[in-house]
Amino acid sequence: MAHISIENLTVEFAVFGANSRSLKNQILSQATGGRVMSGIRDVVTVRAIDGLNFEINDGDRVGLIGHNGSGKTTLLRVIAGIYKPSGGALTIEGRVGALLDPTAGMDAESTGIENIYLRGYMLGMGRREIASKLDEIADFAELGDFIELPMRTYSAGMFARLAFAVSTAAQKDILLIDEGIGAGDAGFRKKAQQRIESLFDRTPIVILASHSESLISEFCSRRVLMQHGVLQSAS
Amino acid sequence: MDTAGVPRRPAAVSTIGAWSVLADVVHGHNGRDLGYRVLESFPAGYPETLPYIATGIIFWGLLTGCINEGATVFISAEAFIRNVPTPLSLHFYRMMARNVMIWCFNMAIYVVILIYFELLPGWNMLLFIPGFLLFLINVAWISLAAGVLSTRDRDIPQIIANLIQVVFFLTPIFWSPANLPSRPAFVTLNPFYHLIEVVRAPLLGVAPPWMSWVLCMGMAVAGLGFTAYLYRRAHSRIAYWV
Repeated sequence: MAHISIENLTVEFAVFGANSRSLKNQILSQATGGRVMSGIRDVVTVRAIDGLNFEINDGDRVGLIGHNGSGKTTLLRVIAGIYKPSGGALTIEGRVGALLDPTAGMDAESTGIENIYLRGYMLGMGRREIASKLDEIADFAELGDFIELPMRTYSAGMFARLAFAVSTAAQKDILLIDEGIGAGDAGFRKKAQQRIESLFDRTPIVILASHSESLISEFCSRRVLMQHGVLQSAS
Repeated sequence: MDTAGVPRRPAAVSTIGAWSVLADVVHGHNGRDLGYRVLESFPAGYPETLPYIATGIIFWGLLTGCINEGATVFISAEAFIRNVPTPLSLHFYRMMARNVMIWCFNMAIYVVILIYFELLPGWNMLLFIPGFLLFLINVAWISLAAGVLSTRDRDIPQIIANLIQVVFFLTPIFWSPANLPSRPAFVTLNPFYHLIEVVRAPLLGVAPPWMSWVLCMGMAVAGLGFTAYLYRRAHSRIAYWV
């Protein structure tokens, strides 16, 4: 059973000024007893997530909403394991898949097939798993013979379709999606919609951060509103 | 997307690197200035000089390539680190693998030179295996330490690049300490000299001095310990720093 339990979670960023990120300035400051380059130790701390308590159970479709900078993406990154929390506890049961950047890992000089592998590895798939899904992904992306060509020869639409096809092929217990996913022209959009639905159906927990009301109301069973890193309301 | 760093791209560009430097030495660079003087400083002439310089450049290229790229290894993978939950060490290993592949291409120069000058390094060549291992371990910890420190303080990559240029002139690559009346301290105490020596000497058929072995092993142990400590401390902060 997939499960996420968040207790009193706090994430703090140290915001360095340009001066405090320079070794030369730090040495200069030390050598002059702080008279030159004063203020170098001034590191501002920003609390991106502040005392968050939340439980997510198997079958939940969580829609994360809130203004820019409210901590949505930061929360997804913490659950993905990218940011280590500075306080509180986070317990995760199940394998986490992150679709924070649907194109991460892809390389323009490599062919479509190579890119399916590259992107697949980034999603935590093994060589065998990718090989078994290769045909299905290539079919879905509608690239035809282009799949054998370097990706730099692709149009923007072809590139987006390929990235989408691989990203949605992953089989995970917990899926984190930032700003929705989708690709292509009108004809493809319908296919994409079905593929997202089937992905959601086979994934026990989905957390979707988005500004789009329609997307959230269509796909999500729970709504979580965040404001300045604090949980405002949850249903 | 452009952070992928698949070997193909940099390899395709930089295989020319060591080759072109070599061409400069043979034909003379800037109106036969550099090449001529370099060769004149070796009394033995071409058959001894060229293999020495070529092998030196090949390994100096690997060493500086790893350290310079190592300094920016996390910074340049920023988009990646913040969006894909992969172990951070992945970026480091990719960088090392890429540079070792480029080195493999450059080793073709060495093979060509062996054939052209009809050199037979003999059994001492086997010492290259432990030598290269020591070389790589040392390069690895220096690069990783550079990467961690540079992610925190952004002026470190430039400092490193400048230091390497200075060290290049102090390290016997284009010149040999054998031609100096006495061995100066900046050679005997230069860690980069010993690192180059444990790989270059075996490939030229000479056993490296025991002093180089001891120093390289000592550096490997101390350096690995230092970098392990540094990496453990900074590991969870790197995603925030990039």
